[in-house]
Amino acid sequence: METILLSFEALANPAIFVAAMMGVTWGILGGAMPGISPSITMALLLPFTYAMEPTSAIVLLASTYVGAEYGGSIPAILIRTPGTNAAAATVIDGYEMNRQGKAGLALGISLYSGVLGSLFGLTMLVLLSKPLASVALAFTPPAYFALGILGLSVIATLSGDNLFKGLVAALLGLMIATIGTDPVTGGNRFTFGSSDLLSGIKPVMIMVGLFAMSELLMQAADRSPSKQVKSSPRITFPDLKLAKRLLKPQAIGASIGTFEGVMPGAGGTIASFMSYNEARRWSRHKDEFGKGSPEGIAAPETANNAVAETALVPLLSFGIPGSNSTAILLGGFLIHGIVPGPMLFQRSGEVVYGLYGGLLVAAISLLFIGMLMLPVCIWLVNRPRPYLSAFIFALIMSGIFSINNSLFDLSIMMAAGVVGFFMRMLKFPFLPAVLGLVLGYLVESNFRRSLVLSGDDYSIFLSDKVSLGLLVLAAVFILGSIGKRLLDFLRKPSLSGTKGDMA
Amino acid sequence: MIINRDMVGGISAVLIGILYLYFATQIRASALDDSFGPGGMPRAYGILMVLLGLIITVGGLIKAIREKSSTSTRKEWAGQGNRVLWAAGLLAIGVVYLLIVPVAGYAIAIGLLLAATGIYQGSGLTWKIGLVALGGAAALWAIFVLLLGVSMPPGVFHLF
Amino acid sequence: MFKKTLTTLSVVLALGAHANAQDYPVDTVTLITHSSPGGGSDVFLREMSGYLAPILGVNVVVENVRGGSGAKAMADLAKAKPDGSRFYATTPTFIYTSLLSETEYTYKDLEPLVNFFIDPEVIYTAAGSEYETLDDVIAAARESRGRWGAANPASLERQALEQLKAATGVEAAVVTHEGGGDLMINVLNGTLQIGVGEVQELQSQLEAGEIRLLATFSGERLDNYPDLPTVEELGYEVVVRKFRGLAAPKGTPDAVIAAWETAAQAVLANEDYKAKYLANNLRPEFIAHDDYVEFINTFASETEAFLKQSGVIQ
Repeated sequence: METILLSFEALANPAIFVAAMMGVTWGILGGAMPGISPSITMALLLPFTYAMEPTSAIVLLASTYVGAEYGGSIPAILIRTPGTNAAAATVIDGYEMNRQGKAGLALGISLYSGVLGSLFGLTMLVLLSKPLASVALAFTPPAYFALGILGLSVIATLSGDNLFKGLVAALLGLMIATIGTDPVTGGNRFTFGSSDLLSGIKPVMIMVGLFAMSELLMQAADRSPSKQVKSSPRITFPDLKLAKRLLKPQAIGASIGTFEGVMPGAGGTIASFMSYNEARRWSRHKDEFGKGSPEGIAAPETANNAVAETALVPLLSFGIPGSNSTAILLGGFLIHGIVPGPMLFQRSGEVVYGLYGGLLVAAISLLFIGMLMLPVCIWLVNRPRPYLSAFIFALIMSGIFSINNSLFDLSIMMAAGVVGFFMRMLKFPFLPAVLGLVLGYLVESNFRRSLVLSGDDYSIFLSDKVSLGLLVLAAVFILGSIGKRLLDFLRKPSLSGTKGDMA
Repeated sequence: MIINRDMVGGISAVLIGILYLYFATQIRASALDDSFGPGGMPRAYGILMVLLGLIITVGGLIKAIREKSSTSTRKEWAGQGNRVLWAAGLLAIGVVYLLIVPVAGYAIAIGLLLAATGIYQGSGLTWKIGLVALGGAAALWAIFVLLLGVSMPPGVFHLF
Repeated sequence: MFKKTLTTLSVVLALGAHANAQDYPVDTVTLITHSSPGGGSDVFLREMSGYLAPILGVNVVVENVRGGSGAKAMADLAKAKPDGSRFYATTPTFIYTSLLSETEYTYKDLEPLVNFFIDPEVIYTAAGSEYETLDDVIAAARESRGRWGAANPASLERQALEQLKAATGVEAAVVTHEGGGDLMINVLNGTLQIGVGEVQELQSQLEAGEIRLLATFSGERLDNYPDLPTVEELGYEVVVRKFRGLAAPKGTPDAVIAAWETAAQAVLANEDYKAKYLANNLRPEFIAHDDYVEFINTFASETEAFLKQSGVIQ
């Protein structure tokens, strides 16, 4: 209770207001640029925070994170390119709604889901920091491995009608994830002597290639100008009936996001894919998923914004950053001589309360700043196709270059685009590849770490209670979906349908 | 006998799996390795890939035999050759960008990329695409170089 | 997950930059690091640059050249002009990367300049664990296989633990992580018996009484923890020296080197800065250019011998 009062008291400081609103604006901009991740958006601000007063500096960085996690959904909906990794799941139904001319509603849903996710995550952060921190401690290497497997079980949902093709796509992602430094020995794998490959291939390069680049190639291939549906440049929020229907997916997203955010290394991407999957499982309108379901936007967008808040739990309680973005935030603390960790509340309580207050301002201002910025974005994508294609091409070529200042990365991205083009032609789904790419490192490193710990005794995955629970859950999901496919197959014996491919 | 998409996809997966497995066997072992080793996962991924590729190929074969009367290879692949060529053209614009950006610098190269893509996608050779390229290049330069402070290739002309 | 690659440029403008600019050949000195913004080396450099600038009489800029665990930074510096305008902030990472990865440019293509600090590496355990001393840990490992942890796969910490294993002759799993934070969680929740880390990373947990130090890998005892024994005192011949210094491009003029030798000593003696770095448990250890070249070469050949012996490289 005292925490809440002190956090509200911090709002008396106008500098915190300004910092939170600037951070959100900057974050939305950076998040919306394909290739510029939330952590890069934050890192670009870091030099300016030296001169700032500590609380404002921390609020600025944390609000940027909140804004960027939301901003990623804008290009996901409008140009089929996730601006951030965590927005990849939003592409599925968001872009589909856009194609139906409902971009304004899709953006409205993602915006208010983002705000709700932020508010929920913030409440959890303020009220339940201690118990949530103990959840983070309960996760040992076998538990992380099991979590990764649970994440991979989502492949079944993302595979469209041919599970084998989905698995091939997932393996492709897992294979790309093995490029670079080995997680246990530190040796090199698949680097072919190139120092550009030493630190691996960033998922964002592959994602932008698979989604945006392949879309451009498809448009070039289809010479007959496909009909371009224009959306009204007005943001619409759902009516009461739809809002009620969205409550369930939002609740699912908020809880999964809170849980995944707390665990170092898990992150927003897994959270949004898993909440998409769960929202579909528990939905009464299952058939709409993949064809422009508003629930398919609400769940992942609530989740990734909840992650942006609860990712602060391990940082503030242990001083341990769970992601690249929170690592930058840790830097922001250290610059001002503040060491996050168990002593933070005693030592620099006022900074923490200021941060909580600032995050509240950030969550609320997200709504208004988003409403101001979105019409401009819709106007931009309503331009004639040739200009739009040209602009998207130029934008991704600039964004991917900025990650490493490397032309090599651009060729990786274009190569991924070519692979994506042929995957579409041969009707392979992309999203399993994204999932494999994001989870590959987590699964492999923790699998091998567990075996090193146990001395090659595989029973460690069953003797660890958290791991056992998650593995059983994953097994239920996988067997369930295989069983369902088998049933469908027996009823209607055709190996693969000719329905549209997913993503 | 027709060759359908599943067969091509399956065979590609098998080939990718074999290539990957070959490189996976080249990973060196060391005394700091765990028993599973750096090559353990890659070998598993490679073998799975080959197996799944085979399954998809066989699936495609079965489908081809079942549907042999209704479709022909020509119908399955109608127009695909031209589509690949048109896509390759856009890719070529990207490759040319990669080649000229170190020399021409970001501002000029991105302007050319905008113009070339617009014209290629059917804007027509009008004054409008010129304006869009010019304005777009200026806007992107302002965002990435001025605002975000990215050190884009300046090129040999040192315009800015 | 933390192997991000990103290059950002940021400027720390020095106050009083023109005090004695004529002594140093250039106006702006750029210090590059392979560390990410906000990472260990990055924060260290940015803090130091503020004190260095007035001493050298130039602007000091910190630039993050990320990617390939230092491979990009080494290539960047090896190709830089040797005019005293560009240096690379080195830690043992650049030796490891040179040896482990067949990079185009290695530490041999750079000129070690001077050293500033040696970070003490300590062995720690969770406060609630049953181990009170390092000998308890060793004894436990003699009975059943030990569970020890290092922050990164191929790192000085891992080497230290492998050497400790060899010196004591016990069986222990050395589990590697993705950075010190990851490792800390597994020590706190009891998955691992001990971890190895730098004191400044552990500060907050130490003050809160969540972890207990068992021994230090440094040559002498630490000023802030005079009761903490060194590993060597306990009878195991393992000493670890995690250096923080600068490297220059080959062919850097003697005048520039001399200017840095003077400046490095002056900055370490600065009272304000001293208060800051001592509080952060950094141990100043100035090493002049000639000795530093020798130091780096010895360090590299010892590391190479270790990596060869364990079969990581040929």
